[in-house]
Amino acid sequence: MANITKKVSWSSRGDDSGLAGEGTPLLNGTEIPKPSRQLSGSGSVFRIGRFSTVDLEDDITSEEVKFELPTSLLSFCLFLFYVFDEIKCIHLSLFLEEERRMSHMGFRCLEISRWVICGLIGILTGLIACFIDIMVEKLAGCKYQVIKENIEKFTEVGGLSISLILWAVLNCAFVLVGGIMVAYIEPIAAGSGIPQIKCYLNGVKIPRVVRLKTLLVKVLGVICSVAGGLAVGKEGPMIHSGAVVAAGVSQGRSTSLKRDFKMFEYFRRDTEKRDFVSAGAAAGVSAAFGAPVGGVLFSLEEGASFWNQMLTWRIFFASMISTFTLNFFLSIYHGKPGDLSNPGLINFGRFESDSVAYYYYELPLFMGMGAIGGLLGALFNSINYWLTIFRIRYVHRPCLQVMEALLVAAVTATVSFTMIYFSNDCQPLGPEHNEEYPLQLFCADGEYNSMATAFFNTPERSVRSLFHNQPGSYNPLTLGLFTLTYFFLACWTYGLAVSAGVFIPSLLIGAAWGRLCGILLASFTPTSPIWADPGKYALIGAAAQLGGIVRMTLSLTVIMVEATGNVTYGLPIMLVLMTAKIVGDYFQEGLYDIHIKLQSVPFLHWEAPATSHWLTAREVMSSPVTCFNRIEKVGTIVDVLSNTSTNHNGFPVVVQPAKLCGLILRSQLIVLLKHKVFVELARSRLSQRKLQLKDFRDAYPRFPPIQSIHVSQDERECMMDLTEFMNATPYTVPQDTSLPRVFKLFRALGLRHLVVVDDENRVIGLVTRKDLARYHLGKHGLEELQLAQT
Amino acid sequence: MLPYNLYLFFVFVAICVPSLKCGDVVHLSASESADKLEAVPSLSTAAIVSKPAVDTVFSFSLLSSFPDDLEVSDYCSDLLHIFGQRYVAYVNCLVPAARPVKVCQSCYSTYGNLVEIYNNISSDQMGPGNVTCRDSLLRSDRLMLVYQLYSNLESLWEDSNCAKCVTEHLESLTNDTLYFMATLNQTLTCFEKYQQGNHTELCKNCKSAYGTLNVLYSQMEKNSTLCIDIEDAMNMTRRLWSKNFNCSFPREENVPVIAVSSFMLFLPIIFYLSSFLHSEQKKRKLIHPRRAKSNTSLMNIQDKLS
Repeated sequence: MANITKKVSWSSRGDDSGLAGEGTPLLNGTEIPKPSRQLSGSGSVFRIGRFSTVDLEDDITSEEVKFELPTSLLSFCLFLFYVFDEIKCIHLSLFLEEERRMSHMGFRCLEISRWVICGLIGILTGLIACFIDIMVEKLAGCKYQVIKENIEKFTEVGGLSISLILWAVLNCAFVLVGGIMVAYIEPIAAGSGIPQIKCYLNGVKIPRVVRLKTLLVKVLGVICSVAGGLAVGKEGPMIHSGAVVAAGVSQGRSTSLKRDFKMFEYFRRDTEKRDFVSAGAAAGVSAAFGAPVGGVLFSLEEGASFWNQMLTWRIFFASMISTFTLNFFLSIYHGKPGDLSNPGLINFGRFESDSVAYYYYELPLFMGMGAIGGLLGALFNSINYWLTIFRIRYVHRPCLQVMEALLVAAVTATVSFTMIYFSNDCQPLGPEHNEEYPLQLFCADGEYNSMATAFFNTPERSVRSLFHNQPGSYNPLTLGLFTLTYFFLACWTYGLAVSAGVFIPSLLIGAAWGRLCGILLASFTPTSPIWADPGKYALIGAAAQLGGIVRMTLSLTVIMVEATGNVTYGLPIMLVLMTAKIVGDYFQEGLYDIHIKLQSVPFLHWEAPATSHWLTAREVMSSPVTCFNRIEKVGTIVDVLSNTSTNHNGFPVVVQPAKLCGLILRSQLIVLLKHKVFVELARSRLSQRKLQLKDFRDAYPRFPPIQSIHVSQDERECMMDLTEFMNATPYTVPQDTSLPRVFKLFRALGLRHLVVVDDENRVIGLVTRKDLARYHLGKHGLEELQLAQT
Repeated sequence: MLPYNLYLFFVFVAICVPSLKCGDVVHLSASESADKLEAVPSLSTAAIVSKPAVDTVFSFSLLSSFPDDLEVSDYCSDLLHIFGQRYVAYVNCLVPAARPVKVCQSCYSTYGNLVEIYNNISSDQMGPGNVTCRDSLLRSDRLMLVYQLYSNLESLWEDSNCAKCVTEHLESLTNDTLYFMATLNQTLTCFEKYQQGNHTELCKNCKSAYGTLNVLYSQMEKNSTLCIDIEDAMNMTRRLWSKNFNCSFPREENVPVIAVSSFMLFLPIIFYLSSFLHSEQKKRKLIHPRRAKSNTSLMNIQDKLS
């Protein structure tokens, strides 16, 4: 989008400045020259043409949607309150005018400030990652230290069940704080946030998803849940945090804090904001995994319908800055300032020794593991799917959600303790103490309980020890039990009302069974055990499991390769992820897609459902449409807007009889009402300052509800001229257009509303995203979802 | 592996040292390599005294000689000679101390001597006749034998962490180490005393001694004043205690642990059951979208498809 805007500005160079200076009031009713007339130079027609392509697409109605909740388990509805984004800019004429006023330098500065913002996004995201990392390390360190001392004491004198209770209570305490914050303060901060960001990048605005409050709750919540010992990771929330940072920084103000820094006002609209949000998401990924390229690819994979080369380059800049900011501050924290070789929250460590080389005959083995990963992933997703439905139906009150989180925390501690207590797997302490908190329990002195390295640790450290500990530091029984329990714990935990990611638990499950595979292989082939290095198989297993659960492809491959820091693993990881995705997709969708579906978000996929060619726009559209006349009575507008049953977002503007002449948004109407831009008032107060684009921007993104606008009885009789403010060139389609074609228009242009007209340009219907997202390919052919209101 | 190599090395050195007079090391080592193995028995005994051995080899190596200015000065060859002696002395001390590990306690003084002579060789200071041996002995050829030999032993010293147990100038063991050894001895004496008969007796009676030792050890671990001798002694003691005498803690509280955990595991079941039974199900109102024709229902779609 940004590019198009730029082009326009380029074409409008020249004598515009003089015109702009005239400052004719824009109020309706006065004899205002239309912008097109103002521009009556030779180039003007051309220019207007361009412009209209810019703006056009905005659109009309919207309903808001929210997803539904299955009455029968398998059907979904789209919820009525998700609002779609305005992908395009608003207000043709106002926008034109501002563009004219801006000099060439002005656009240069804009470009530079885009880079500055990306830099800031990177730095802030890196700092947040750093904060999370250090806090988790400190808190978890204290917790494990206390428990360890307690266990040591009670091993000697008896009373280990007290240690068990202590462990459970400490876990619960952390989770209680996190759970209360999420459940009562900001429920949208629950989970990993990746589904929400995916929707945002897809063009669906989920309420409150990029607020400052969400960021705070997310960051503190994730610290609590990781320190609370749940089977969760802090990587997913990082992506959400990056996105919120980006949305905040690029607007130069915070509506939550009521502070406006008067900066970056130009970027206060959906298109620009979305670009920055994708940069923020990329910065989050790159801070989480130390994978700048992976971050860029993640943004592209999830939000690629609005993509251009300069934007990609800026996104890359943001990710690079973020990973190295994290790096820099962590190096200071670890007492080696300036050492920039430690990127990422999760560090897989280096796979460098000879034993981790792989040979061609191992590739089939890897693919077999990929298939196992796909199967286990599908199982994981199915269980989680049923669990989530249960939660949506029965565990929806905040106090119940907090209680559930507490129970999970307590059970996690209990299960871990029991496993450690009954484990007989003792290993000698290594010389360099890989084990952060070695527990001895009933092992001989000088040995530690190897089950404890897996359970009595933050999940990330467990992953690292599975990757890198010496062959022989785990016995197969330990690994098998660990995989089994952790699989169910992680599955149970995802979807709780705490902010937490699923990346690390997946990696951990996968690493455990992968290592198990490696050990078994080595025992089957006693002659050449060199290639069956358990660490290598742990890595492959981790990739397979993660791929089987989240089903990401390109970006996940690159993230894994970057996180291991070893390009030679590119091929096996790619093969593994492919197999996992193919096998998994056969049974069940990816976890994020499931959750998007369960939240009833009208998410548009890449393609229209395969068998939908026979559907035409006439069948898809909503009809009849609420329209406004070009000069409309204020009373009518207020009534339509306040009608709660038709919560539309965009309205076609018509001249009688029903001929389409434009499209206007609810938010625009509200701003107009607020500033009382009425024909009669304009006559009486000619000197009043004219309404500027700035007024719309200031209102963005929280337009006041219609109820807050007071319109007196007299004013209701006034008229409003919508001509200046509507989008005069909306996209339209004839009524026989097929669904896939409409779908492509929406996906490629990022439309919100598409007016369906007959051959005389009369409005007969309106297609919105929700109308499209309703159709999906189910088991019995094409199915239609119901819309639901919450 | 390492000690064996060293053994060969010192043999090697003993052969080569005297020959340096006549030529450079590479040259000689090649010509002598065949004799090396056969020379082992005699040299290893003779090395300590070293003079006789030198003589025997000397005759072999006098094949040719270089002009004076390229030769190693007498001073340097003396240094080299002493280096050889001390090297041999140190290695001789190390090998018997390999198991159980006592390399720090018994060999620190011989290592001190070796360091001293090596520092002499490698120092910048001019000896008599304004010669410095650093260049001629340490780095005039590709093999850099003296340097290699020394650095091998040096890394061995570093790996063993002996510096932690010995005072700064390698004069004596540190007080910590001596104290640890004393405590260790007490414990071992105790073990010996009760070794006969019932081990539970031993576990009970030696517990305090063993406990003190353990505490002392972990304290030293924290201050990082451990060397290989102490680590190894502690490992052996722990193994004795845990494996041989079977004194580690028994797992005897199964019942309370199982009770508490099954209680915990039971909670979620109650929770889910009660929320299933008592919480009202959240319902959503469906909205009927306005459509041009009433073809929105699933039924119709299916009809149309078929």
